[in-house]
Amino acid sequence: MSEDLQVVAFCCQHCAYAAADLAGGLRLQYPPSVRVVMLPCTGKIDALLVLQAFESGADGVMVAG
Amino acid sequence: MIVAEQKSLDEIKKLVGSAQKVLVVGCGTCVTVCFAGGAREAAIVAAELRMSTKLDGSPKEVTDVTVQRQCEWEYLDEIAPKLGQVDIILSLGCGVGVQAIAEHFPGTWVVPGLNTKFMGLPTEQGVWAERCAACGDCILGLTGGICPIARCSKSLLNGPCGGSLDGHCEINADISCAWQLIYDRLNSMGKLEVLMDIQPPKNWQTSRDGGPRKIVREDLRLDKKEE
Repeated sequence: MSEDLQVVAFCCQHCAYAAADLAGGLRLQYPPSVRVVMLPCTGKIDALLVLQAFESGADGVMVAG
Repeated sequence: MIVAEQKSLDEIKKLVGSAQKVLVVGCGTCVTVCFAGGAREAAIVAAELRMSTKLDGSPKEVTDVTVQRQCEWEYLDEIAPKLGQVDIILSLGCGVGVQAIAEHFPGTWVVPGLNTKFMGLPTEQGVWAERCAACGDCILGLTGGICPIARCSKSLLNGPCGGSLDGHCEINADISCAWQLIYDRLNSMGKLEVLMDIQPPKNWQTSRDGGPRKIVREDLRLDKKEE
């Protein structure tokens, strides 16, 4: 993935965010252009949140939960 | 509730036209619960308009606000301070809400963002169906609580017609025959004798045929001299 692309990753704190933590513990790398946003639950995601990310300049949005 | 559907973004953009500053006004009542024009939908339409017009090369300044009820002037007063800062209002209220804004703010251009469809109810998650046609002379007491005016395609008063087939309407198999529903309900309640009375032609003057309608309650008016 190009590092020029800004990606917002909405991650559930109970699974995907914990997995990202574990990946960090394992010294696995991911592009710095990925911005991780922790959510209590990805059930919180709705169209408005995704639109706000795009409006704020994101090229892509990832929802992981 | 009044049930409405959002217009397409293309149509909304055409309605907004060349106006630069747009205020999207949502309504917190009927169109909120049918997911067409509440606070969430107003914010989404505003975001869509901002992004779409930015991509078109002529970005607009779009903000949004939601009032509890667009169909009462008192609730519209809270948007009055914003009017000087906008060129146009995109109302996500029903047709009553759009007209209430136009009447209350005569100098403000207002356009509709919804198509108002009917008075009905949600029959399941994501499905709304028409139940009342506001004919002005309710006959539900004669039909077991099922309205043939709104739910029979022909608004028959003495049904069913010959197009009723296996409980469905001839115009669309997805539509239940209202008169079959009425018969089944009266039958299940042991009240089939209700159907023995032939209903005379209905006086449609109480409906739209009598022109625009109005109710005046003298006991509730503050200034009875005022017309």
